[in-house]
Amino acid sequence: MEMMIGGAFQGKSALAEKRYPQVNWINGADADWEMLSCAKGVLGFHEYIRKEMKAGRSVDQLAEDLIRVNPDVILVSDEVGYGVVPIDAFDRAYREAVGRICTKLADYSHRVTRVVCGIGTVIKDA
Amino acid sequence: MMILVTGGSGSGKSAFAEDQVVAFGEAERIYIATMFPFDEESRKRVQRHQNMRKGKGFETIECYTGLERVRVPEGSTVLLECMSNLVANEMFQEDGAHERTVQEIQKGVKSLREQAGNLVIVTNEIFSEAVSYEGETGTYQEYLGKINQELALLADEVVEVVYGIPIYHKKKKGGASGEESVE
Repeated sequence: MEMMIGGAFQGKSALAEKRYPQVNWINGADADWEMLSCAKGVLGFHEYIRKEMKAGRSVDQLAEDLIRVNPDVILVSDEVGYGVVPIDAFDRAYREAVGRICTKLADYSHRVTRVVCGIGTVIKDA
Repeated sequence: MMILVTGGSGSGKSAFAEDQVVAFGEAERIYIATMFPFDEESRKRVQRHQNMRKGKGFETIECYTGLERVRVPEGSTVLLECMSNLVANEMFQEDGAHERTVQEIQKGVKSLREQAGNLVIVTNEIFSEAVSYEGETGTYQEYLGKINQELALLADEVVEVVYGIPIYHKKKKGGASGEESVE
């Protein structure tokens, strides 16, 4: 598994597509579990989490499930935990869920790249 | 030489950027101020930055919109602060570039880079929040994000300042390990 993370509008997807031009990327916002479980690469993975939570589905086991069924997937996700604690309860739960899930996935990933201003820096290479 | 300095609010970006300018030596020092002093809070902020610059020999040029029109002495060392204000001005002020903000600022920066000997630009990280903004604020993030990526391509060095500690994402000599650019 591999992850590319960073703030919004930093060029993460462009970098991912450049690094892996052969991958058929899917978008987290439009994906269901079937698609996610067999995808080679996912852009906007955080959007998948938001969509599932909005639909009232649990994401508690998402990291574990993904590691089990699709251990080689490449995930591109926003980092969303650097701002002020949101006023809205859903936003707070979502923010926390993205953090917890991505932390577990990053722990499993062999490589994690963080993108700032379009520049990717490998922060984990195990 | 062009350096892009980024980081969160109150992280020490300005102090770091000013140190870089001073380290460039005795060339004429120009400060391009972009914060429009529209209320008491912004006037205080401007004052704080003026005090920080005192004694460092800066000549200040105010530029709220239309960066391309700015003329600086050839070979001077220029500090532009802050890109996040300039983008907001171009988007929301009446005489701003509005939907052409990204292109106009790109042109302005290229023009500055041609005139100046050394150019240091301070920008801002505002992209890692849980709340996803719609409308103007979302567009503002998008524009600033795009501009930051463009500036990073143009820059020789890209530095994120975290509580005063510089983290180099792009470095002229040696190069940061694991660095890979979009372009």
